[in-house]
Amino acid sequence: MLEQINFFISILPKLWQGLVVSLQLSVGALAFGLVVGLPMALARTYGKGVVKSIAVFYIEIIRGTPMVLQLFLIYFGLADVGLVLDRVTAAILALGINSSAYQAEYFRGAILSIDDGQMMAAEALGMTKRQAIINIILPQAFRLVLPPWSNELIYMVKYTSVAFLIAVPELMARGKMIISKTFKPIETLFWVGVIYVIVLSLIAKIVDIIEDKVSIPGFQMSREEI
Amino acid sequence: MKESSGSQVYDIKVINRKVNNMTKPILRIQNLHKKFGSSEVLKGLNLTVDEGEVVVIIGPSGTGKSTLLRCINRLETPDSGEIYLEDQKIEHGKTNLSRMRQKIGMVFQDFNLFNHLTAIQNVAIGPVKVKKIDKAKAMKAAERELERVGLKDKANSYPAELSGGQKQRVAIARALAMEPKVMLFDEPTSALDPELTGEVLAVMKDLAKAGMTMVVVSHEMGFAREAAHRIVFLEDGIVSEMGSPEKIFNNPEKQRTREFISKITSLSGEGSA
Amino acid sequence: MSMRYTEVFNSIPYLLQGVGTTLEITIYALFLGAFFGLLLALARVYGGNISRRFAILYSRIIRSLPLLVILFLLFYLGTEVINFSEFQAVILALAIHTSAYQSEIFRGSIQSISKGQMEAALALGMSKTQGIFTIILPQALRRAIPYWGNEASIVLKDSSFAYVLGVLEILRRGEFVIARTGQALITYIIVGIIYLILTSILTKCLSIGERKFRIPGL
Repeated sequence: MLEQINFFISILPKLWQGLVVSLQLSVGALAFGLVVGLPMALARTYGKGVVKSIAVFYIEIIRGTPMVLQLFLIYFGLADVGLVLDRVTAAILALGINSSAYQAEYFRGAILSIDDGQMMAAEALGMTKRQAIINIILPQAFRLVLPPWSNELIYMVKYTSVAFLIAVPELMARGKMIISKTFKPIETLFWVGVIYVIVLSLIAKIVDIIEDKVSIPGFQMSREEI
Repeated sequence: MKESSGSQVYDIKVINRKVNNMTKPILRIQNLHKKFGSSEVLKGLNLTVDEGEVVVIIGPSGTGKSTLLRCINRLETPDSGEIYLEDQKIEHGKTNLSRMRQKIGMVFQDFNLFNHLTAIQNVAIGPVKVKKIDKAKAMKAAERELERVGLKDKANSYPAELSGGQKQRVAIARALAMEPKVMLFDEPTSALDPELTGEVLAVMKDLAKAGMTMVVVSHEMGFAREAAHRIVFLEDGIVSEMGSPEKIFNNPEKQRTREFISKITSLSGEGSA
Repeated sequence: MSMRYTEVFNSIPYLLQGVGTTLEITIYALFLGAFFGLLLALARVYGGNISRRFAILYSRIIRSLPLLVILFLLFYLGTEVINFSEFQAVILALAIHTSAYQSEIFRGSIQSISKGQMEAALALGMSKTQGIFTIILPQALRRAIPYWGNEASIVLKDSSFAYVLGVLEILRRGEFVIARTGQALITYIIVGIIYLILTSILTKCLSIGERKFRIPGL
């Protein structure tokens, strides 16, 4: 046991560096996903014709293909046509694009779950559709989307581990490096796992507190509910 | 000014309005048609509402009462026909529609309070976002409107924390805050428990007394007797009969009106007068 | 240029041979995961204190671990401690991973059945076990179908991680085609289309299943 803990302490600095990269990737990808995902949700929900079709096409293609494939396509595939991205950019882009499709669907679900009467009442007050979406629908959608969105945040930290496949030095990659140096694969992976569990639990706790802070009567939804 | 009992009073009320020369038409509906799929709900409906008049619309379900209201502020688009508010045509086109809707207050059956806003924010959001009124001013005004419906103490409650009757009163305050020329009520008490309808009807009666032009779809016969200047019996997509409450309740011309009135008064436990 | 494209297109049959492997991995992992997931869900809802706690802990830990970590752990366990193949390691890793998510799906759907259903079953003289299997689960599993379908498509996509251990599924074959032709972009696009077709078929099948098992009002 003591030997294990000593081993952990010896590899912790490297793993810590990896964790920082993992978290950076997560934040970048989530932000990218939000910026692209929200317009996609609006386009799919309120858009017409080509705009709507593009959004549906985008979302369904991304949700229908594996994350790894998307990553490889962006990193190796685009290099084929002369678009060479550095590893971290490629990882954030791939994770972000992937996340955007899911975030779009969370937002769409939230928007669709808002009673039609809200839009009607806003229009009856003289708001334009655009005003109603901005002032009435989106503020509610943002709150409703919080539980699935925080799930996305938590999963994103996990998903960043795929970046190791294009040699981004995140947590998983650090683990593999340590394995090839120490030849202690099971012990190393155990400790990598422990870090993921602790970090994700911490994030879940923080998210809980935030959700509690911004909650409004009538909007209670728990994250684990399906 | 207005008495609430004695059947003669109603005719006097109508006469008074005429004598006082208050019969300026404010809302004119001409030859309104609306189809949903293959079923025609409104079949060339005509109706004129005078300024300060309280019109209660009754009729069997599915005869287009709600559709009529929703056509007036264009939540539904009529297939044909014209609607004029203060001689201005209500039609599509962004600026016109928003301007007209600002002049028409709407109270829904199921309240439709904005769930993410407190009572006072619900009342203030229209003036702030649509009329672009200064926020502090709008909040002050909203407070007055809430006071008017007796809910000043609930200003900071969210819709989920209010009873049905309270929600509906906030919804009325929200519509009033836009200072509308006409108020439309779409079965405002039918989603409420019986013991909660009273508080909403009281607010509506006050509003009627204050001279607000009101078009009310409701089967609250007590309210109709007391506050209506005119009752419109809608059937089969057109105005089948209308007149003072006195006439409609006691001496309707048509057999169908008589049957409907007697059915509805016996259902609501009121003896016909 | 076009010569090389032809080479890639000629490799499509080779890529398609990976579909069998991908589906095999997916189906094994999915149903193993369903079995354990259901057990965990039952433990969580009806189990005693210890089994409930275990189920909660299992679900929480597994859902916190990246699939890659589980995959490599099993791979090294398979090579160094117990003896099983890469193929088996992949299936087991995916099954462990999905079982945690499926346990949440089943738990949610079991708990969404109103308490009155169990009470009525007990009132008829059924045992609790009978109540669970003849009354609760038939309703809960129907309700779980859409969520389960979602999970099935996740497992199908996650099966691509098998390539990491060298299992010859679609993505791995794609890598070989790229190594041979040097055409990464077009190969990945083709691989993507294959996955897209598979996930669409899966979604279609599940929505047909959902309709078939639907009961009015449930």
